[in-house]
Amino acid sequence: MSRIIVITSGKGGVGKSTVTANLGMAIARLGHTVALVDADFGLRNLDLLLGLENRVVYTALEVLAGQCRLEQALVKDKRQEGVVLLPAAQSRSKESVSPDQMKKLVGALTQKYDYVVIDSPAGIEMGFQNAIAAAQEALIVTTPEIAAVRDADRVVGLLEAQGIKRIHLIVNRLKPGMVQAEQMMSVQDVQELLAIPLIGVVPDDERVIVSSNRGEPLVLAENISLPAMAINNIARRLDGEKVPFLDLMADYDSFLNRIRRLFRG
Amino acid sequence: MTSDSAQQIQVPIDPPSDSVSDSIVDSQIQVRLKSEGERLLLILPPEAETPGAASWFDLWQQLKHRLNAGERFWQAQTTVRLMAQDRLLDGQKLQAIADALTEVQLQLLQVYTSRRQTAVAAAAAGYSVEQQPPTCSLNQTPKEPAELLAEPLYLQITVRSGVEIRHPGTIVILGDLNPGGEVVAAGDIFVWGRLRGVAHAGANGNRNCRIMALQMEPTQLRIANAVARAPGTPPSQFYPEVAYVTPEGIRIARATDFSKTHLSLNS
Repeated sequence: MSRIIVITSGKGGVGKSTVTANLGMAIARLGHTVALVDADFGLRNLDLLLGLENRVVYTALEVLAGQCRLEQALVKDKRQEGVVLLPAAQSRSKESVSPDQMKKLVGALTQKYDYVVIDSPAGIEMGFQNAIAAAQEALIVTTPEIAAVRDADRVVGLLEAQGIKRIHLIVNRLKPGMVQAEQMMSVQDVQELLAIPLIGVVPDDERVIVSSNRGEPLVLAENISLPAMAINNIARRLDGEKVPFLDLMADYDSFLNRIRRLFRG
Repeated sequence: MTSDSAQQIQVPIDPPSDSVSDSIVDSQIQVRLKSEGERLLLILPPEAETPGAASWFDLWQQLKHRLNAGERFWQAQTTVRLMAQDRLLDGQKLQAIADALTEVQLQLLQVYTSRRQTAVAAAAAGYSVEQQPPTCSLNQTPKEPAELLAEPLYLQITVRSGVEIRHPGTIVILGDLNPGGEVVAAGDIFVWGRLRGVAHAGANGNRNCRIMALQMEPTQLRIANAVARAPGTPPSQFYPEVAYVTPEGIRIARATDFSKTHLSLNS
């Protein structure tokens, strides 16, 4: 029984596509087959982040129009076995696909892949509706910012209305130093508001930007970084394993800080 | 073959199968502008051939792009005949088209349509209307002989991400083709600028077509059913180059070498 997971956020720029690309790779490294679906028609990015842009020949739109077979449109990743990408069309608008068509596409993918991971566009309009149409579970990506959390809250409501019950939270781009100094919302603050189970916290890291620009997902890098470790843990938790959360605050939890906190009460 | 002193591109990934509709360009024809004597024809793609996908919004964007890209090619106050075919246009849409034309100093005068509603709307707006009886035969559009290419399309624009230009003939772009942009031609493609997106020449299957660019850094090149990607490491220096098909796949040669070795022998 394959799982269909949509990755969404409401707000743009919080790292949906980056999380999708890396999580897809991480799941595949656990030995599963994964189909990544870019549902961001008109503003596709997932192929870029995966470094597969120049290998896209057909897109989901051509499959739906019957101009090619589904297998022809799927782009295999040469670096990680078991991962394929179904690219979105770049030249069309979000209205060019209907939720029913999306269900059909994803349904066909579940025949062959253990995981179907859908990268949703920002917003809550047609593109979002398409992305969540076929999903059974959802991962909400948010940054510890008030606007992102507010949008995430709205999206959780929409997902629940759609009947998607399994919703997990990923807090992205956390800066432990700033949290320590109480300049940034903490994971607890975010969770308190959203009240959905946490599945992972990804720390902010400049290497993420470098890897995105190069089209080489961070989890594939030889020397593993903290964000990559966090993503790998998310993949294992998705898979049902119990993995303790990384202690991101460790570096900042000095004796002095502890005393300061004590006095602040 | 000495012409390949320039770098060679990697050969086909997965040549698209023949199941792809053989007339990839005709089936998705876009808005066209064509001069006919003293006037200009604005030809909209028939609704029957572009179901759903080409909504009014898409059509509208295409029209604006085309008008902005070809501005230099017509005299001010040239009259325009709108070939609306079987498109349903209400007064609002007609007005929008007329306004877009006025912006580039063109004047909508006549409307040619096979839809009664469109004819009524056009007449109400004061255009001279010619209504063509709807053809009842299954073979709706009288097909031009397939081998015949349309006249070249000359565009002065930057083809940006998300823009797709299709034309059943040769396409000349004066400007850049950006990554994410796509140009599909039944004939050759010339890019007088940087080619960084996807270019597909000979899209109806003509393997003799070529792609030429001042600076060739494509995401992907396609000629007929051959596909090639750019090499992993971009060259340090750029020359005007020509991409063409050999039995081994798509090759690229420096334009100066290409004209010596290829143009004198073939064609």
